[in-house]
Parts: sequence; C-alpha cells; structure tokens
Amino acid sequence: MRFLRTLGFAALVLLLVLAVAAALVIAVRADPGKAASGFLRGAFGSFYSISEVLVRATPLILAGLGVSIGFRTGFFNIGAEGQIYLGATAATAVGLLFPGLPALVLLPLALLCGFAGGGLWSAVPGFLKSRFGLSEVITTIMFNYIAINVVGILVRSVMKDPSYPLPMSPDLPEAMHLPVILEPTRLHLGLVIALVAALAVWFLMSRTAAGFRMRAVGLNPRGSLVAGISVPANLLLASALSGGLAGLAGASEITGIHHRLLEGISPGFGYVAIIAALLGRNHPGGIVIASLGIAALQVGSSSMQRASGVPSSISWIIMGVLVLLILARRPDRDRVAR
Amino acid sequence: MVVPAMLAMRDIRKSFAGVPANDGISFDVGEGEIHALLGENGAGKTTLMNILYGIYAADSGSIVWRGEVLGGHGPKEAIAQGIGMVHQHFMLVPTLSVSENITLGLKSRGHPFPDRRRLDTDILELSARYGLDVDPAAKVASLSVGERQRVEIMKLLYRDARLLILDEPTAVLTPGETDGLFRVLATCKGQGHSVILITHRISEVLAFADRITVLRDGARVATLEAAGATAAGLSTLMIGRELKSPARRTAPAASLPRSAAGDRAGLEARAISLRPVAGKGLQSVSFSVAPGEIFGIAGVDGNGQKELAECLLGLRIPDSGKLLFGGLPVEGLGPRQRKRRGLAYVSDDRHHDGLVLGFDLAENYLLGKLDDPRFVRFGLVDRKACLRGAGGAIADYHVKTRGPTEEVRLLSGGNQQKLILARELSSGPAIIVAFQPARGLDIGATEFVHERLLERRAAGSSVLLISSDMDELLGLADRLAVLHRGRLSPAYDNDGSLDMMRIGLLMGGQGMAEEACAS
Repeated sequence: MRFLRTLGFAALVLLLVLAVAAALVIAVRADPGKAASGFLRGAFGSFYSISEVLVRATPLILAGLGVSIGFRTGFFNIGAEGQIYLGATAATAVGLLFPGLPALVLLPLALLCGFAGGGLWSAVPGFLKSRFGLSEVITTIMFNYIAINVVGILVRSVMKDPSYPLPMSPDLPEAMHLPVILEPTRLHLGLVIALVAALAVWFLMSRTAAGFRMRAVGLNPRGSLVAGISVPANLLLASALSGGLAGLAGASEITGIHHRLLEGISPGFGYVAIIAALLGRNHPGGIVIASLGIAALQVGSSSMQRASGVPSSISWIIMGVLVLLILARRPDRDRVAR
Repeated sequence: MVVPAMLAMRDIRKSFAGVPANDGISFDVGEGEIHALLGENGAGKTTLMNILYGIYAADSGSIVWRGEVLGGHGPKEAIAQGIGMVHQHFMLVPTLSVSENITLGLKSRGHPFPDRRRLDTDILELSARYGLDVDPAAKVASLSVGERQRVEIMKLLYRDARLLILDEPTAVLTPGETDGLFRVLATCKGQGHSVILITHRISEVLAFADRITVLRDGARVATLEAAGATAAGLSTLMIGRELKSPARRTAPAASLPRSAAGDRAGLEARAISLRPVAGKGLQSVSFSVAPGEIFGIAGVDGNGQKELAECLLGLRIPDSGKLLFGGLPVEGLGPRQRKRRGLAYVSDDRHHDGLVLGFDLAENYLLGKLDDPRFVRFGLVDRKACLRGAGGAIADYHVKTRGPTEEVRLLSGGNQQKLILARELSSGPAIIVAFQPARGLDIGATEFVHERLLERRAAGSSVLLISSDMDELLGLADRLAVLHRGRLSPAYDNDGSLDMMRIGLLMGGQGMAEEACAS
C-alpha cells in the first residue's frame, strides 16, 4: 500500500517534470522530437557521453556526501561551493610548492590538503554555531562569497601564471594528475575515490559510534546532551567532515580535470550537491544515484542545446521543479497523529 | 427528569492510521451541567473533544448542538456557536496584556484601533461577575499559571461561550488554585453555562461534577450521576480492574538502615545556587539522599525543578554550592562522566530528554550504553548486541512493541517510558534522578514506573523524585521537601505526622521564608 503510493508519487513527479520540459521546449519554438533525441544522445548515446556523465557526477557525489553528513548532524551546510574552491586552492598550493615530489607522495598529499582545506573552512561556521549559536545557513553562504572571491584574487596575484594573460594558476606538475581510468575519455580516478568515499561515509554513519553520535545530535540535540553526547563537539566534527568531502571534490576537479586553478572551476557543484543529498535522502547510495541522474540531466541538456537550440538552463528549471515536488511530500507529514 | 440535552454526540467514530481512538461514543451534556469526561491517557477523551471543537472531523457519527446539527465545522465556527475550549497548553501571547489577549482576533468596535480603556472596563465587569480575579492591564508574562488559566476562561466567556471544555485543567495548579478554579466553574454553572471537564483525577470528579462519563480504550464504559459514584468504582471502570494498594507500604524496607548510611549519602547537594534566568533560579538548595531512600521534592511546576535536575545532571553549572555523588564532589564533570559515576536520569519529557524519536528501540537503548564495551568496541557499534540488549529490555520491562527495530515514535507514552527505565535502571545505578517520571502515563504504566523505583530503593539506590503530583510523592517518598521559587523547605518525614495543610501552604509560597529561617 505504502509502496504503491510511493510509486504513484514517483510516476506523478515524472509526468509533471516531462510536462514542464515539453512546455519549455515548445515555448522556445524548438522541435520536441529533435530536443528529446538530442538529450538522450547526449546523456546515454555513446561511450563518450556516458563517461562525461560520470565525470560530471564525481564532484556531485563527493560534495553531496559531505552535505549529507552535515544535514544528518543538524549542520545545514549551504557552503559546499566555497569549500570546493578552498579545497581546490589547497590542492593547487601543494602542487605549486612541491613540484618535485613523486606522484605517489604528491597526489595523496594534494587530495589530503584539499580535504583539510575544505574541512577547516567549514569548521569555522561549525565553531561559530556550536560556540555562539550563529546560524550556519547564513555563515556558510557568506563564506561562499569569501572563498570564491579569494580564489579570484589569488589567480590574479600570488598564484597567477606569469606567462599567461588570463587569471589562472600555472599548470600543475604531471605527477599531480589523477590517472584517467578510461582512455580516451576524461573519466579519471576521482570517480573511484568518490565511490570509496560513499562506502566510507555509509560505514561511518551507520556502523560506528561516532556516526551514531552525530545522527543522534542531528535528530535530537537536547536528548543527546542528556545522554552525555557533546553537541558542540559533534557539530564541529560534522562540519569539518562535511566541508572536507566538498574540499576533496574541489581537489579532485583540479587534479583530474583542470590541472590548474582558475575561476569558475565549479559551475555550482556545491549547490547542486545539496539537491543530490536531498534527492538521495542523505543516504550514500541514494546520493550516488541522484548525482548520476543530475549529471545525466545536465550533460544531456547541453547536448540538447547543441541539437535543437533549447537553452541548457532548462536543466536548472527541471531541478527546481523536482525539489519543490519532493519537498511538497515530506515523509514526516505522514506521522501518526494522536 | 428529562431535560432536553444542550449537546448530544451520537456514535462518534474516529481512527488514526487504522487504530480507533473513538469507537462509537455517545455523549450528552445538559444546560448548566458540569460533566466530567474521565479516562486514562489514550482513552479518547481529548480526541472526542477535538471533534466537538472542530479540530478533527469524525469518521462517522452526529453532533447536535442546541437543536442544530453540527458538522464540517472548525474551531472558529465552534466558538461562534458558543463552544469554547481551554487546551492543556495555554494559547496566550506572553508579551501582550490580559485584555489584548482576551480580545485577540476579535474585531472590537473601532477596529483596528479599539478603545482599550472601554474594553478593559468590559473585561473587569465580566471578571467581577464570574469571580475571576485578573488585572486587564497586566502582561501575561507576569502572571502565574493559575492566573493564565483564568485569562483563558475569560477569553471564552468574553466570546459568549455557553459550553466550556477544559482539558486537564488542574494538572498545573496548586491545591489552592484548584479550589479557586472550581469555585469559578460553579459560578459559570450558576449563570447557565455548561462545562465539560476532561480529567483522570477521580477525586476532583467526585467533588465537583454533576455527571461522569467514563471512557476506556476509545469506548464509553458508563455514564453515571456523581452523587452515587465511589472512587473505587470509578477507578475500576477506568482501568478495567482494581488498583493495587499503595506501593511503598508493601515494599520491603530499604536494605541499608538509614543510620548506617547517614554519613555516606548517595546524593548530596550543599547550598546549590543558580542565578535566576527568566525568574527561575535556585537559592541555596541543600538536601541529601541516603542509599535506599526516596527523597521527594514537591512543588508546582516551574519553581526551579527543571533547573535543579539539570544541575544534578551536569547540563547546568550552579553559580555556587557543592554536589556530591557517594561522598565525592562532581564539579566540572559533564553528563557523560556523571553517568559513569552511577547517575541515571528519568525525565517527564520523553520526546526531548529521553529518546531520539527517529531511532528504533535498539538505537535508543544504545543511547545510554555508548560507554559499555558490550555494545561499542573500538568505536564500532555491535548492532547484534544492541538488538539483544533491547530485546532483553523489552521482555524484562514488558514493552509492547513489534520488536527492537521498530521506531520508538510509534510506541505509546507508557511503553516509551518503560524503554527509558529499562535503559537507565538496568545498569544498577547508585543515584536516580526521576523528574515527573509518570507524567502523562496511564494508571497501569504509572504503577509500573513506581514499582521499578521502589525496586531500586530496595536495591540501595538513592532516588530523588521530583514531582508536582502529591499522591505520587505521598505514595513513594520516605522524606519530602517543597520547592518554591527556587527555595527548598526543610525536609519532612513522610509518615502519619505529615501536615498536609502545611505542605499545601508551602507549595503556594506561604510560610516559606519562616521555615527557611527556622532551619
């Protein structure tokens, strides 16, 4: 009964989303058939297009996992975007400072520093919340502006490539490139890292005492306090892990795709990650699936733009509609009333 | 005598998620009648009244109110029809004045700029007529609980309610305030109003109601005249069996003679003071609880009880004073370390303090065992051990559930409290702080909670029982003291010599200063 209702709801959502998409395609006077085939070919049509979806999903999975740890602990991290930038900056700094190190040392060090950069950046709002009760929703958003613009300054000043007129860092050493796992595509080891991270987050949250404490704090801070679980300490831990995974996403983009720091390395991954966490119900498996779906939507819609002239921003509209529909049916609405 | 009923509810049915809360209840109220709706928690009293008041729609059944059929109405229509309800939790805006609260939402003459002075005069007139003593200009935040209740009643009378529904009105009142409330209700009755009194307190029903309808498990068991009813008969109707005799008298005496344990108190507080925040603080509170003793702290809610419990638990740090567990100071220790020193805490607020509602039973069991190597090793949770532990608790404490993987939110209040008791008491704690442990529970579950506390007393635990329910304290405590505005009276032995008059006065704050000086 419950299952059937969920299934019915999913069908309704799909129908509504398709209707919105069709309306938009017709509104811009494009050929719906051409648009649909362009979308499908772009997302699943070839080996290459599938690999592009996976490349796109990698940072979403990592940042989405980070966001989910925060959400489950009651730390509403809206700052994954800024944490991605900070992680990317930290990883780049490692490459610029120690260009001579062997790959086996340099690459893990860069990823680790990316994690640490994002984690520390996120731990500041975490500290402000646990110590002074400042709303992390506000502070993390503000921290996004700071982080993104700090990167803008860096790539124009100390980290700028002197031999190039555009604001970007020099190329990073070859030893710091994440290996491509599927030649000749761009698919890199970051995907494997993301999947391992999903497994690790699952294990942490559902099998360890630390994860149990964080979940307890997220569900009932007062009850946790009474049970002897420190709410501030767990908020701080969750904020650091949350930002750390987002930072790792940034480091993975630098070492896997761009191989240098530049403005706009993240076209809103940090915000889309929130949607991935929401659609995936904060469960690692769900986040992987949601990230793949969102990535397919985005990659497919840019292909649709090329094929039929429908603006790819349609993917954002569809995501917006999706989130609204999902929020309209929160499971806790069904609570038994007495 | 055949009086045409003012209100007639016929065969009301309502179920939640397939569970019937009202199973074909019929109920009527006459003009100028005080009709008590008696039953345990979960018997369906509040549901029935919420249907009458239009908060829920009945699945089936009919309501006839003064000759007209009522249906598909909301609270707004109910009030317009002359039906008013005072909820258990008051619906007042503390920052507004009494008269602003009373006229809130009404378009008085001159709206949106009514003549406040005229309204105040009207309200004064009304309060004089019903013997309700409230200052219309006072801010609600500055009123006592009893006064706030009067404001709620005024709100209904001002809206010309003919039928007043009061949901557990005496739960938050001192004995003196309770008498005052019933005087007001008697006046209302004299003026032709009818009153429905939702309660589980048999003594009040016998003293003040005209007729009594008893509900059990969502069905009406009986409707009878109060004049012919007896307490024993009513309690049998309510719970379907006879109540056991007062528990403490039949329990075995404490295993440790008090004199031997006297110099090594299990729990001792020496001059604990807490600066008042929002009027609630503690002033040099001292007491000691010997092993094998239940020490009761009486008093009306909101006089510093929660603050005291939180100081003991380590959630608040007193500004001065000393706390000793088994003779050793515990200053600077947080809740986790204090629990390791043998402290257990049973709260009235199961949903916030005791449980994580989104967790299942096994996880909630684990919540109190995070430092126990049987359940957590090397930072890893042994889920199987948790399931076994919770399974054992379910069996030992008769928790009614589908199993350890059921979410606790689906359990009834009594079963939730049993799970908390199982978790807190299974480790054999030396000190138990029980804060209103039976609040909101039905008679059966209350009995169960009391038996477990007496068991721990017999096993040598020091039990601090904080309660506003005098019956509970008289039944369980060896000694008791009264907390009023953050000050604790001297302790009295709970035996035949206890002067109830004196305790009642202390709860109202009278004689507190002299007592404190004398001690």
